[in-house]
Amino acid sequence: MPMIPWFKNLPLWVTAVPLLGALLLLFIPKAKRRLLELGAFSIAILDFILSIPLWFQYDRTTSAVQWVTEMDWIPSIGVKFSIGMDGISLVLFMLTTFIGAIAVWCSFSAITERFKEFYIWVLVMQFTMLGVFICQDMFLFYLFWEIMLVPMYFLIAIWGGPQKLYAAIKLFLYTLSGGVLMLVGILAIYFLQYKTTGVYDLSIASFHNMAGAIAAQSQTFQVLLCLAFFIAFAIKVPMFPFHTWLPDAHVQAPTAGSVILAGILLKMGTYGFVRFMLPIFPNILPTLMPCFLTLTIIGIVYGALVAMIQKDMKKLVAYSSVSHLGMCMLGLFALNPNGIMGAMFQMINHGISTSGLFLIVGIVYERRHVRQIADFGGLSKTMPIYATVFMILTMSSIGLPGLNGFIGEFAILQGAFQAQPWWAVVATSGIILGAAYMLWLYQRVMFGPIDDINTPMKDLNAREIGYFAPLVVAAFWIGLMPSPIMNVLQKPIENLVMQVNPDFYKGQDLEKNKAEAARLGIRAMEAAPHAHDDNDHGDEVGNGGQ
Amino acid sequence: MEHAASTAFMGSYSSSILWLIPFLPAFGALINGATGRRLRNNKLIDCIALGSVGISFLLSVVFFFRLFALEPSQRVITQSLWTWFDLGGAQVLGGISHNVMEWGYRADQLSIAMALLVSGAGFLIHLFSTGYMSEERNDGRYYRFMAYMNLFVFSMLNLVLGDNMMMMFLGWEGVGLCSYLLIGFYFDKETAAVAGKKAFVTNRIGDFGFLIGFFLLFMIFGSVDFNTMMGMTRDVMALPELTLFGVTRASTWWFNLVGISLFIGACGKSAQIPLYVWLPDAMAGPTPVSALIHAATMVTSGLYMICRMNFIYVNAETALAVILAVGALTAFVSATIGFAQYDIKKVLAYSTVSQLGFMFMGMGAGAFSAGMFHVFTHAFFKAALFLGAGSVIVACHHEQDMRNMGGLRKYMPFTFASMGFATLAICGIFPFSGFFSKDEILWKVFEGWYNHGHFDGPCLNLVAWILGMLGAFCTAFYMTRLMVMTFWGNYRGNGEDPHGLRAPAEPDHDHGHADQHHNNDHNEHHEPHAPHEVSWNMWLPVAILAGLAVIGGFLNIPHSLHFLGGSHFSEWLSPLLLQNSAAHASHGAVPAIEYWLQLFALVWAGLAILLALWIYKMDPTWSKARTFVAKLPFLYRWVHNKYFVDEFYEFAIINSCKRLSAQLWAFDAWVVDGMVNGAARISLLAGKFTFWIDARIVDGLVNAVAWSFKQTSLFFRFFQSGRLQHYAFVMFFGFLAFAFWRFLV
Repeated sequence: MPMIPWFKNLPLWVTAVPLLGALLLLFIPKAKRRLLELGAFSIAILDFILSIPLWFQYDRTTSAVQWVTEMDWIPSIGVKFSIGMDGISLVLFMLTTFIGAIAVWCSFSAITERFKEFYIWVLVMQFTMLGVFICQDMFLFYLFWEIMLVPMYFLIAIWGGPQKLYAAIKLFLYTLSGGVLMLVGILAIYFLQYKTTGVYDLSIASFHNMAGAIAAQSQTFQVLLCLAFFIAFAIKVPMFPFHTWLPDAHVQAPTAGSVILAGILLKMGTYGFVRFMLPIFPNILPTLMPCFLTLTIIGIVYGALVAMIQKDMKKLVAYSSVSHLGMCMLGLFALNPNGIMGAMFQMINHGISTSGLFLIVGIVYERRHVRQIADFGGLSKTMPIYATVFMILTMSSIGLPGLNGFIGEFAILQGAFQAQPWWAVVATSGIILGAAYMLWLYQRVMFGPIDDINTPMKDLNAREIGYFAPLVVAAFWIGLMPSPIMNVLQKPIENLVMQVNPDFYKGQDLEKNKAEAARLGIRAMEAAPHAHDDNDHGDEVGNGGQ
Repeated sequence: MEHAASTAFMGSYSSSILWLIPFLPAFGALINGATGRRLRNNKLIDCIALGSVGISFLLSVVFFFRLFALEPSQRVITQSLWTWFDLGGAQVLGGISHNVMEWGYRADQLSIAMALLVSGAGFLIHLFSTGYMSEERNDGRYYRFMAYMNLFVFSMLNLVLGDNMMMMFLGWEGVGLCSYLLIGFYFDKETAAVAGKKAFVTNRIGDFGFLIGFFLLFMIFGSVDFNTMMGMTRDVMALPELTLFGVTRASTWWFNLVGISLFIGACGKSAQIPLYVWLPDAMAGPTPVSALIHAATMVTSGLYMICRMNFIYVNAETALAVILAVGALTAFVSATIGFAQYDIKKVLAYSTVSQLGFMFMGMGAGAFSAGMFHVFTHAFFKAALFLGAGSVIVACHHEQDMRNMGGLRKYMPFTFASMGFATLAICGIFPFSGFFSKDEILWKVFEGWYNHGHFDGPCLNLVAWILGMLGAFCTAFYMTRLMVMTFWGNYRGNGEDPHGLRAPAEPDHDHGHADQHHNNDHNEHHEPHAPHEVSWNMWLPVAILAGLAVIGGFLNIPHSLHFLGGSHFSEWLSPLLLQNSAAHASHGAVPAIEYWLQLFALVWAGLAILLALWIYKMDPTWSKARTFVAKLPFLYRWVHNKYFVDEFYEFAIINSCKRLSAQLWAFDAWVVDGMVNGAARISLLAGKFTFWIDARIVDGLVNAVAWSFKQTSLFFRFFQSGRLQHYAFVMFFGFLAFAFWRFLV
């Protein structure tokens, strides 16, 4: 792809478009509903289309940050306006533009009042989320991280359900309190950096470089510092026991809010772990790991069990998120490439499947204005397309091979199994429960006899099919051919593992391994018996033809 | 251990059309699923569904002959479509391996045989469905049925043709999904929907074991590609010990662990104790589904997996012993349940569970080819029986209770003949196929104990053999009972019931035929149509399958009967199998005891058949059976209710799980969220308190200052009245005072 100058700053443009669009919407009279809807939608679609070239521009052969743009901002304290992305950010960045467009599209009929503010807030929301993924400066990161709460607060507090104010305030204060802790952590590292190197630098790279200096500090300091970041991110993920804001926020939020919340906002927490927690605290992580892992494992099983007996469909999906993101954290904490790859996929898959499930709930809510499972039954009879989409998303959520959910769960479990088999064994039980609660939900809503109240419900219309289609296609695409995404993630993850778990590659010649893998390639394994006959039968047996 | 496999696949042939075998049915499913509802053209749906499976079958035949033309040790044709995923480095035994999974297919002796079975039986059952689903053809559900069936064939072909365990798992879960969808095909019936969910979740429990085994294999071999694993087994076995996760054990210990884990998966899919409970419930699906998925193909995938992984199992004696024990127990226990069932499909379902137990016994005895052969013969006769039962059900207007059938022999001669031959085959009567396959399994099990005339093998083998013989007796008995109840006597479906044999009325009976309140309506409805023979597209598949059940046994004549023919099937599979030495030694002299056992088995089965005939045929009132039940009501109730295993699971596992969920939910709402809300409340209280301090003390101080100013100013205000007279007065007095002070003092 030719590097047209403005292409170089494409991520910046993609980030700015929603904000500019929101400004544009300000000039549209608020009575013109259709114009506002279409305007917001075309801005979101434009944003998504603009982000597609990034996929092709990205250089997969390096783990370096790309599309770097750097300007001095507040030089006296070392703040720079610095942006750029690596593969990990890119994948989530693309997910954001993708889900953002769907969130706008699904609101056309769901939002019946104050359209103008709604679409403006959704676009501002998207701007801040994109900002989190592209910034390379802690100050900027913190800025986006906190500003993000404002549009979400309004989305829930204005267009939400009966207890919207409670939910919105809870979301805002809970995550803000975590954010403030993180700020303390950031400042601590910032001043520590001045003490050790004599410069003030807030770039993320320089924070990564502080890992060694932090490791030299006292144990207590390290633990406290690590916990400050941990709690901030754990609230956002959310991990057990910091998860209770999530069901409330989801249940009260309008469908678009739930979609954004599940699709992207929760990924901020896991992204924080990938970007900050793991690389900055490689030294203290093993000490705290048993504690973190216990919370993670509890979250997986606990979320699934609690989801099982929910009576409200949205709440059920919300608790399933707790379980799914627990899986994601398990993959991250495995600290090996398989696990982290799985975690990244779990983030994407959760964004697709769970957003889809919230849309599914939104469909019946729009038609009947109830969400209790007991109010439905037998919908398959009158809504065959809806039934099919729901089935696909259910299967994707419970990890059926061939659909997206499986790739993530499988890789996570494999990574966890390599690190410590018992984690994987316990986590697998969460998957059994996952099948149980999702299929039970499906059975109660879709199967059985249908009653008179539900009979007139209409099947999906063209617009609804339109916004489900990309999700379904993505679910199949990732399930059947995830390797394009894996190629993007491979290098950054390798780099991350080297930062956080240097022992993993110890004594391994990475390039040689890579060449070996390439040589083995597709039909490689046939040659294995040969290769082994040539080998001495030492410890190297089992190394895939090593 | 003989190591045929390691030299077997030096070179392999690749093909560019192998992928079509599984993918054609997938395309069929896609086209029918996407267009069927709109077009509503049943002929077109038939063409697509049957055509895709039929062409798959023909392609399988082509590949069979291509393999046939190759050297026995070279019989592998592979095709890799794309790299499914690449997870980066993984730390496995001996270093870092690149975790790459291919989307690839492999046709070898085992997989092509299974592919022939799946697509062949699949085609016949699709053909049967065109007749069986005649009601659905009219109400627009037909396309959905055919799409699911095609999707199932696709998944099953993936399972058997997959080149690595990942592909196998894809098929493994795919067939589970299709089974779920097809069991719940009549989803507006609550029982069907629940049964589908039960099947899926029970299978998931099995998958848990499968995944654990899978991960262990990956840790040991650094790959889950069948060829790699087969080739490396010898090297791994040669290692004195393996260290994984800091645990150092002999390699057989790890192989046992892998074997048992994988067997848990097989237990789920192939309905073995303790995970068999889903299969009888799965009969809620349409009958062709029961024939295809729950008898002929899907439930045998556990067997296929074990046969495929035989290189693990020959090195895992404990795992084999577990398989033998579970198989024998299942074969016996579920056969006994067959005694007391009246639903024709339920009888066949428990029979399937029992027969699967026989197959696992064969595997457990290390006789993989014998177990696999029983998979094939069982597929023939059980599919024939299920389809025949389907025909009977259609003929009796969707009546499934055998007590309401009877005398159908006269009305449906083709179906009767086909089912009769299939019954003889399943009972193990010479020379029908069941005799050869079942006898081979029982002999191999016995041989383990017999141990070349020393009679000192593991006692487990003897116990398993006894259980197997008992199971065989039960099988012959309940199958004869089924045939007699269905085809002999008088037709009881139209209310003629001189001996009071009809099923007692149950208010919640699914079809309402036995419901006395509606009896008159139904009689009016039924009288004009007595049972009738079904159309050709229904009886022909049954007849073909029954024909295969009759002659199929000659594909694999045991060595002891070599004058009848060769053991082609075993020889065909042998390059793939690392049979342990015991299995191979049988090619020597045949011990006389084997002939005696064969004779015994024949007499034994004959006895069972005669007993059943005596009880149910000679005595049209079934009085002996009734007296027996009356004497031992407890035993009857126990068996009839399947030993209350379902109730036990419901009580012990499902309910406790739900209770735990409820408790955790309360915990979540009151404790976890309570702390959050508590924190909020405490903040509020603190805020109120601070506000009080602020208002009363801090602001009070401020106000006090202001107040003091005010008070002071009040005093001074007194002087500021604004009246000229006052000022003049004050000035005047001031002047006076000043003057007084200045001049007078």
